[in-house]
Amino acid sequence: MQPVKKAILKGFLDMLPLCLAVIPWGILCGSLAIQNGFSALETQAMSLLVFAGSAQLVAIELIASNTPLLTILFTTFIISSRHFLYGLAVRHKVIDQPMRWRLPVSFVLTDELFAFSHHRKAYRTKTRLIYALSAGFSFYIAWNIWTLIGIVAGTMLPDLTNLGLDFAIAATFIALVIPGIKNLASLVTVIVAGISATLLKSTGFELWLVCSALLAMAAGYSTARLTTKKEVTP
Amino acid sequence: MMTTILLMACITFFTRYLFLHRALPFKVGPKMQQFLSFSAPAVLTAIWVPIVFLNEDGINLNWQNPYLSAAIVAIIVAYKTHNIYYTTLAGMGLFLILN
Repeated sequence: MQPVKKAILKGFLDMLPLCLAVIPWGILCGSLAIQNGFSALETQAMSLLVFAGSAQLVAIELIASNTPLLTILFTTFIISSRHFLYGLAVRHKVIDQPMRWRLPVSFVLTDELFAFSHHRKAYRTKTRLIYALSAGFSFYIAWNIWTLIGIVAGTMLPDLTNLGLDFAIAATFIALVIPGIKNLASLVTVIVAGISATLLKSTGFELWLVCSALLAMAAGYSTARLTTKKEVTP
Repeated sequence: MMTTILLMACITFFTRYLFLHRALPFKVGPKMQQFLSFSAPAVLTAIWVPIVFLNEDGINLNWQNPYLSAAIVAIIVAYKTHNIYYTTLAGMGLFLILN
């Protein structure tokens, strides 16, 4: 098979489990908006343009309860602020690419695509860029199809997230995180992230996600520095 | 409503694009790089662990919690197989049986 076709196929197949895992949220985004008085066009436009599940769900609730525009935008910013970390983390890999690659990559730089971005050579070759765009845009298309199903089904479908199908995303993230635990530093990162996120979120603190992530990164980084110092450097 | 949606789109795109903008005059040094290499496990774990342990009433550490036992099985399968399909199937399968 040609390398380009192979990269497209691999991107699609790698992302497929995540595309399926977000079915409950995609449908919820569509049906919740319709139930709250959004038109079909507005609902679909949100998934097409904003393309950020958690921000969309929160914004739908806020818009429906007549929250002031600035509050909605500020909340969107807080929920989206983790993307700054993703941009920083992939910057050195993507920055030498021309704008026509960087723009689409940043548009689809979701949690899910970022999970596939840690390879040393990610985004650095044309094949790897095509792979990333295939994964990123297949997720984009899937997200919009699930939203459309939610719009059409409206109130006919039960809330799939209440059926516990939200566990699907936890299972896929477990599959992405656990094999990456290869040393003490990454183990510490995961443990600190899990505990601090659960505690901070349970208190209702708005910045729980970014704060617990930064705390876990600091813990992982310090552990890495401490453990390498002990080794004899050549 | 459309204005709100467009403004939200600008914000999410801005947060995704900002550090991929070439004119920003800085380079991520090796120490910062190492710090950022922990961002993927940190953020993804910070998303999935609360799904397992938090419900509307707060933190749920009960062994009867189907999220918890399914998550433990998923962790074991992920550790043994490194395969996203097996992990999701095993985790979801057990979860649906228990729930």
